[in-house]
Amino acid sequence: MKTAATIKKNRSRRSLSKTDRFTLATFVGIPTLLQIILLWVPAVVTVILSFTYWNGIRLKDIQWAGIQNYKNIFFNNPLFYQALKNNGIWLAFFVLIATPLGILLAYQIDRGIKGHAFYESIYYLPVVLSLAVIGIIWNFMLQPGGFVQGLMGRDIGNAISIYGDPKINTWVILGIASWRHIGYIMLLYLSGLKSVDPALKEAAAIDGATEWQIFRKIILPTMQPVNIIIVVITLIESLRAFDLVYIIYGSPTIFPLLNLLVFQNFAGQGISMKGAAYAVILLLLCIVPIITYLRISFKEDLK
Amino acid sequence: MSEEKNVVSRRSVLKGAAIGGAALAAGGALTTESASAATRLKGSTVKWTTRGGGATGDKIAKAVNDAFTKKTGAKVVAQQVNSDDFQNNFAQIMQGSPDDAFGWMAGYRSNHFGEMGLLADLTREINRLKSTLPTAAIKGSTSPVSKKPYILPTTYYPWALHYRKSMVKDLGMNPESINTWDDFVKLMTLTQKKGLVGYSLGAKGGWEAMGTFDILNARVNGYKYHIDLLNGRAKWTDARTKETFKYFAQLIPFMNDNVMDISWDGMRDLLLQKKTGAMMMGSWFANDFKAKSQADYDDLWVVPFPQINPKFGRDTIDAPLDGISVAANGKNVDGGKALAEFWASPEGIKEAVKAGDTNIYVSKSFDTSSYDAFNKQKLAVLASAQNIMFFLDRDARGDFAGPVVGPAIQNFIKKPADINKILENVQAQWDALPKN
Repeated sequence: MKTAATIKKNRSRRSLSKTDRFTLATFVGIPTLLQIILLWVPAVVTVILSFTYWNGIRLKDIQWAGIQNYKNIFFNNPLFYQALKNNGIWLAFFVLIATPLGILLAYQIDRGIKGHAFYESIYYLPVVLSLAVIGIIWNFMLQPGGFVQGLMGRDIGNAISIYGDPKINTWVILGIASWRHIGYIMLLYLSGLKSVDPALKEAAAIDGATEWQIFRKIILPTMQPVNIIIVVITLIESLRAFDLVYIIYGSPTIFPLLNLLVFQNFAGQGISMKGAAYAVILLLLCIVPIITYLRISFKEDLK
Repeated sequence: MSEEKNVVSRRSVLKGAAIGGAALAAGGALTTESASAATRLKGSTVKWTTRGGGATGDKIAKAVNDAFTKKTGAKVVAQQVNSDDFQNNFAQIMQGSPDDAFGWMAGYRSNHFGEMGLLADLTREINRLKSTLPTAAIKGSTSPVSKKPYILPTTYYPWALHYRKSMVKDLGMNPESINTWDDFVKLMTLTQKKGLVGYSLGAKGGWEAMGTFDILNARVNGYKYHIDLLNGRAKWTDARTKETFKYFAQLIPFMNDNVMDISWDGMRDLLLQKKTGAMMMGSWFANDFKAKSQADYDDLWVVPFPQINPKFGRDTIDAPLDGISVAANGKNVDGGKALAEFWASPEGIKEAVKAGDTNIYVSKSFDTSSYDAFNKQKLAVLASAQNIMFFLDRDARGDFAGPVVGPAIQNFIKKPADINKILENVQAQWDALPKN
């Protein structure tokens, strides 16, 4: 029978009772196990496979290839450099235009500008739809014979080339992708803004700060956790862009993206471990900036 | 007409002419096998996949599967899948829990997956059907590596030049005599002068343009050079390959503006809506013309691609062979094989044709006397060629045709001036492929 003193001592030492340990094991252990099996093991296997030749069917056909797949990608495949360029443009567009617009929208909605309910709904609607569905919708609208082409009085023969014209297809696709991304960022930022203490803003306003100064000096620092999420999401969404472009084109030639190249080499009839190599390159491109950014952010926190 | 007499006399084994006798003999052999199949399979379930085809595809499948059920007592559960999705995920589907039997394609696609152990060996079935199938079809279904057939051949169609008779007549030309390259260029020029598209092409899917490349290469350099090229025995950077692309470049000014935006169904629509002069495509889309109206279907005409090099004439054609395959990992492989054999047998073919299938069957039991004019012309086009290829993505290995050659041709159409760089790149990628 434990005395009050012993219980208190136990609690202050924060040791775990049997129930606690069991709860911990289940609620942390099982998801961790799933993570390892479904995420880490396939990831490590993919990295290993990127150094082999294999057509994906019989294990005995795996041959060691060294860095041949990577050499092939870097020296023999011009689509790779076009894909890097497109992903880069995607990232720049999101970082400079789409994400800031989302943040701005969230801020204005939070302040309660006129018609904010209207803005919320039109920007939130595409977030609810998957990118694949959005791709189907816009493919239907803008392809030759599509709805918008028909409105302009153009049938298949003289339709304006939108998805096939390299001068405008980038901007059309980025516009469609931003349509969804802006709403997504807006949503994240809005929920964060709700937790900012209004007293801080009022105090700054009384001291004579402008809107912009309030935003930069008070809102942004307070929203640090949300900022981290926003940056990581923007980076990841640009580098892993796939669904929209795949639905519209099916193949990487006209608008190459890194993920489309992974897919082309992993699915279909031409399965080769070049797909694994592309995936590893994509992984490194995502992980290195994110880890760097997180280290910098958390270092500041620890200070 | 003299044209038809030539066709009959030059008919190669693939087309066959025997009906009646062969069918009876074949029917006899099949009855004994199907009798034992009936007892073996009674009550079991066989799963079937129809590869594309829409409502007509389902109707045909129902007719053939119902006849199979009546014969053997086995239940057939059928589904239709989107053809591109099925093809693109084929390796994964076959390694998972696939349906037992399904429509598939001969060439690299059945040979490769058969050699990998994902398709069942159909030697027994093809031997039982031997008397109803031309030797060339059996050879085309057999893997050159393992010498086993992994597909039972059923239908085939030509890739050739299609146009509308009425449009050609309007231009003052004779639809039946577009024979040389110069005739062809004249047709395209006149069409373009009228404000229509001279040569329609939709390259969005990546494979449509291969049809044009295949036939140009075969016309300019001959069948042997083309097959050598696809298998690495000739070089993409060779002057002869470049010559083919010079002819291809001549077609580009006549093409529609939105080549990269449309796929094969866009090409078909351009012809259906009378917006284009000529189109190089497989004849499978004719069903859509018939569905639109009989008048449209009657207006449709097909001729072999014109001659370019008199040394080779028009001796080669792309005529992809389709058939029925059985999944090695299906739950009921035995039932799948029996169902596949039924589909490829004269009995099954009769059911399919009755249900509305307008495809041409390789089977010798196939009665072509009741054919309409367009189908008779299809047969004539097929018969006029001595060399038959299947199509670039069935004649070349899968990790080269789709990922390398397809984009290369697309990039060439976008920027013809880059052809030398593109060909060097294709050759480098071929050299980098693992060869074992």
